[in-house]
Amino acid sequence: MTLVRRQGRAEVIESDICIIGSGITAAVVAEKLAEEREARIVVVEAGDDTVPLSDRAAHRARFVAYGESPWGRDHIDGMTADGIQSRSMQVGGLAMHWGGVTPRFSPEDFRVQSLFGLGHDWPVTYEELDPYYHEAERRIGVAGEQGPPELDPRSNPFPMPPLPLTYNLDLLKRWTDSAGIAMWSQPSAKNSVAYGGRAVCCRNDTCAPVCPVGAKYSPDFTWNALRASRRVELLPRTLVRRLVVEDGSNRIARAEAVRRDRGGANGSPVHFRARTFVVAAGYAWSPHLLLVSRSERFPQGIANRSGMVGKYMTGHRNVFAFVKLPLRLYPGMNEQHSLVTKQFMRPAKLDRYVRHDLRVWESSVGRRPRLKGDDGAVLLGDELLADWRRRSTQGTARVRAYYDVIPDRESALTLNDSATNAYGDPQPRLTFRDSPESAALRAHTEDSIKALFQRMARAGNGEILRSGVDDFQDHPAGGCRMGDDPAASVVDSHGRAHDHENLFVVGAPTSVSGGCANATLTFLAVALRQATEIGREFRGRSGGSRPGNRE
Amino acid sequence: MSAAAAGNPWGQPNATLLDALGDAVLPAALGADGVARAIAEFQRWMDGYQPGAEANHGYGTGRIEQLPADPRPRWRSQLTALDSDARRNGASFSALPRERRQALVRAALQNESGDALPNPLLARHVALALLAHFYDSPAATDLCYDAQIGRQQCRPLSAQRQQPVALGRKGR
Repeated sequence: MTLVRRQGRAEVIESDICIIGSGITAAVVAEKLAEEREARIVVVEAGDDTVPLSDRAAHRARFVAYGESPWGRDHIDGMTADGIQSRSMQVGGLAMHWGGVTPRFSPEDFRVQSLFGLGHDWPVTYEELDPYYHEAERRIGVAGEQGPPELDPRSNPFPMPPLPLTYNLDLLKRWTDSAGIAMWSQPSAKNSVAYGGRAVCCRNDTCAPVCPVGAKYSPDFTWNALRASRRVELLPRTLVRRLVVEDGSNRIARAEAVRRDRGGANGSPVHFRARTFVVAAGYAWSPHLLLVSRSERFPQGIANRSGMVGKYMTGHRNVFAFVKLPLRLYPGMNEQHSLVTKQFMRPAKLDRYVRHDLRVWESSVGRRPRLKGDDGAVLLGDELLADWRRRSTQGTARVRAYYDVIPDRESALTLNDSATNAYGDPQPRLTFRDSPESAALRAHTEDSIKALFQRMARAGNGEILRSGVDDFQDHPAGGCRMGDDPAASVVDSHGRAHDHENLFVVGAPTSVSGGCANATLTFLAVALRQATEIGREFRGRSGGSRPGNRE
Repeated sequence: MSAAAAGNPWGQPNATLLDALGDAVLPAALGADGVARAIAEFQRWMDGYQPGAEANHGYGTGRIEQLPADPRPRWRSQLTALDSDARRNGASFSALPRERRQALVRAALQNESGDALPNPLLARHVALALLAHFYDSPAATDLCYDAQIGRQQCRPLSAQRQQPVALGRKGR
């Protein structure tokens, strides 16, 4: 389906759409395009193929026993960023490791400037994204419970019933009810019923880093179906090093890459030519590719006339606490499942700006077996067990709030010329920075959330064992911000680069801000809307048949 | 089956010593069979270990790390040292009464910093490794809570709504 030829030393692969990256965003974009459009689609992934589902139970067993990585060679030596939070460069990307937590952002997340006078609005509203949220939920399979409609609006039901609350979460929900907080089952990309040809969750408790039964969605399932259907050609072990612009126009002519598994240490050069290029390489490697594509004609890199590539890197910060409660909780009922609320997404008009989500889990903090008693004496035999039993009559809840951080323009990904990969390409450096108004609110925000935790503890006759704030920004995004103004953004709301008509950036890097909830589903909804625009240039596929057996 | 009877790769007399250690540090509430099972699982775990394998580098870190060196030589030496200490008092470690074996182990662990049971691979003493390995197991959690929780084991999703059944009701 793709045309392969040689030009000098380089192999040339021609297609209609060339997608760079194979993470979760690339997977849903490729699936949608393959379903709906007559187009030759090539996907280029720098990393290796991932561990097949059939091997995951054995890999998980070794992870549980020894802490071994269950994902084999999921990274490339020398390919890392200063400041990166996680590494997973393989088919499926970081979502091979993810926890499968899939809340939507709230409508307010997209309009913080209009509603609260802070930061920037997104060039797309929640209402516009709603059908794409639903499409994302359907494609990856989300089990969820409808929250109160005024807090959790949606025009379609979840494709799967919610994961049931555990015995522990039911007790904890009564506790949060008593504190005046309405909570419900966290939406998750985990099968509460058989879905997409995959199994029902059976509570192995290792969703992150690995689900051994395939009940949690991971992108390899989509790639397997797409490869089997022959509608998509996926080339692993192929690193795109730069995009090259056509002489005499602003169109992207080719992606220059190297096949890492051919041609010895230097690899074998390969050029990808396509009508449309889609950069779907996540928050770090997408802006990195645009910057590293700098040339004499584009000294700041591709799509960067505004100087905005790599700017406004964003995320959210979390405040957490462990609350001891007079409840008999059983560890390991389904540890990674939680309660969630959106009750704190809307600050009262007279309050200073504080917005956050809230989640509650069972926890074993403060009630694990221990070697020494209160007097410092070593505990052995029945003494140790008795000590553990005595301390386990009460339970612990883990509570955590992600709060909104408004990114500074100089919250940035830059090229680190002192760190290069095996091919001599500089690697990214990430420096997250709060905007001045967000920095000024930080102490107030964190104090407010800790006060909420104290109020919750009192409502349950409990006590805070410890609390804290993680200093990093979670669920990082941005770097190729979308917007209507070409001087202040990299792509439009459909992901099309302002500077190059046939270049799209999709998903996380196009985010304007990090919101205050796990962001993957929002990245997917944004990307599916962007894929709709990408697909318009190609003839529709009659019937729109799905490549894989999913439901 | 005891470690000694299983003829494990630790070889005599270490297997006998390991049985004696397990009897001293594991809860008697497990019963003799339960203690033997816990020791056997510890041995299987040690035998399956691959030093230097890549450690999980899950969400939150870009660092790639390897698992530590094989702890078994150090743990073998520590078992032998316990035996030597016992023999200085006139009997082999395995021949001592439980209380005296516990006293020797307490002395060996007294200087451990903190009270947390470590990752067994990082345990500085074989007694601590055995304790940490057992107490990290689903069986230990069930024993503590007197409940069939089955932590980290494949279980029906729908059953998570119910309070776990007490261990004594197993099989009904």
